[in-house]
Amino acid sequence: MSEDSRRELVLGCATLAIAAGYYLMAVRIPQSDIADVIGAQGLPKTYAALLAILSIVLIGRATLARRTAAVRDAPAIAVAPPVPEGPPLPRNVGWRTFGMLMNGVVYVALVTRLGYIVSIAGLIASTIYFQGGAMNRRSLAVAVGGALVLWLLFVRLLHIPHPPGIWPSLF
Amino acid sequence: MAVAFLTVIPAAFGGVAWGILGGALPGISPSITMALLLPFTYSMAPTTAVVMLACTYIGAEYGGSIPAILIRTPGTNAAAATVVDGYMMKVQGRAGEALGISLYSGFVGGLFGMLVLVGLTERLSTVALAFTPPAYFALGVLGLSVIATLAGDSLVTGLIAGVLGLMISTVGTDPVTGLNRFTFDSPELLSGIPPLLVMVGLYAVGDLFVKTGEPDWAKATREDARIKFPSPALWKRIARPQIIGSLLGAFEGMMPGGGGAVSSFLAYNEARRWSRHKEEFGHGSPEGIAAPEAANNTVACTALVPMLSLGIPSSNSSAVLLGGFLMHGLIPGPLLFVSHADVVHGLYVGMFAGNVAMLIIGYLIMSPCMWLVNRPKPYLMAFIYALVVSGVYAIQNSIFHVGLTLGFGVLGSAMKYFRLPVLPMVLGVVLGFVVESNYRRALVISAGDYRTFIQDPIAAGLLALALLFVTGALVRRLREARSARRAAAASV
Repeated sequence: MSEDSRRELVLGCATLAIAAGYYLMAVRIPQSDIADVIGAQGLPKTYAALLAILSIVLIGRATLARRTAAVRDAPAIAVAPPVPEGPPLPRNVGWRTFGMLMNGVVYVALVTRLGYIVSIAGLIASTIYFQGGAMNRRSLAVAVGGALVLWLLFVRLLHIPHPPGIWPSLF
Repeated sequence: MAVAFLTVIPAAFGGVAWGILGGALPGISPSITMALLLPFTYSMAPTTAVVMLACTYIGAEYGGSIPAILIRTPGTNAAAATVVDGYMMKVQGRAGEALGISLYSGFVGGLFGMLVLVGLTERLSTVALAFTPPAYFALGVLGLSVIATLAGDSLVTGLIAGVLGLMISTVGTDPVTGLNRFTFDSPELLSGIPPLLVMVGLYAVGDLFVKTGEPDWAKATREDARIKFPSPALWKRIARPQIIGSLLGAFEGMMPGGGGAVSSFLAYNEARRWSRHKEEFGHGSPEGIAAPEAANNTVACTALVPMLSLGIPSSNSSAVLLGGFLMHGLIPGPLLFVSHADVVHGLYVGMFAGNVAMLIIGYLIMSPCMWLVNRPKPYLMAFIYALVVSGVYAIQNSIFHVGLTLGFGVLGSAMKYFRLPVLPMVLGVVLGFVVESNYRRALVISAGDYRTFIQDPIAAGLLALALLFVTGALVRRLREARSARRAAAASV
């Protein structure tokens, strides 16, 4: 099974599940006495049906491609893996991408308590780490400096209040 | 008027500077550069905001050619054609000349694009007053039919992305009955999901996650940072490829899915075909830079023709600009010229100023650009991430919005993994409300009679055009598939 058809199969199953879940939520939208002929449920139900049909087409296509590939490649021939070109790719990509997401999640969870400057400095420092940068004094200086620049830009220059955190209550 | 000029002109200069810096960073496309700026324009006057965004687009198209010439890495997709001869000129020690040709050709292309934009947009929108709910519904359907062209390699995945976008547009209060749909009792979702958050999430945050797995780009040397404008003899030589690039860019910019990349390669190819120095192409030809650069800067203006006149974005960048309009309560389309003509005229003035600004700032900004390109990638990515979360929070002081944007970032990177095109989803999100509300209003007015959509001449015409678009795209795909099959059979 090729990588492309495997991806299509997974995508098709995922969107089919989304279509089913969305449809179930759509039918639970209450009916209104002043509803028009289509109603609040009308288009959502249509979209769910449309997505389900497209997902089935995608699953069918991926399955067909899998069978065709299986017949074509029956006498399996060992092929050397392609040699990658260009600069080497970073390692642990999946883990680091997850780390990038968690940076954002932790920022959202903590910014109201820790305040903008501390949280954004933390976000910058951890992003540098997950993007493959070294955790040294320079990186920490960039994080603190970057946080101060952004605080000056947003809070002082543009007068957009960002969460101050617990700090004002401590002093 | 004078006050407007006082804000519009600096906005044009600021937008161009931001665009050049963003475009100069490899992998940061014009749409991402614009999406990063979007939250900052929230507190600005509408005209200032849209001018700044449009001029960012102009600047980014030129900015993309800087790393293309200096480090053989196109800053934007549209600059990919510039790499061929631009980098060869750099190898020959003519980097300054190559950058000068790129800047000057972009300026020429931009001015031509402005003429087309001003000449065509208002004419297209003169039908404004005749638009009824069925016509608006048909206009929305026409916009969605563009998905057939934009779907990329697979029509099915493009349609899936479009339907997912339509589903996102249904979140919030129902446009006719006022019932809450898919809000999960969250007050923040009552007014729906702002398209702005979807765009910043899908384009900027999604790309940030994806870039984690990419290696750092090459660095430029400081002695490359001197721009040399073309001599009179060279001006004469590059005039023809500039005309070719401008004409192709004007046409492609208005076509759905055309965009800068397609027009640049077409322009490069046609410039070589019509050149007296064909043999120089691929070995450092000035014409090989002039044609694609004129084309992609023309596109930055003409891509706004369908967006402003019909409310249909034909590219990612014009979709983000559309988001900027919506954020300020301006709805691009036929009525924009009636209800907010001042904004449109301010945009024209600003974009003209932006093209002039590109010539000036493009010359002055080389050193900061080089400095930025030479920063370590982790620092740049960290600063962009911090800018995104701070900017999104600044729109409505909402942490919920930051979380939502991160969610769309995850969706964006998943879409890249599954090769789902992003623009169809954005189209679905932006046009979903227009389609649903006008479809249902039309049926309420006609007492449920579906013939209203073919009895209204504008609606019927637009629906026929949409059908033509979809049929054309399907026929083209079938032909391509057939030729691929024949080629495969011939090779066996």
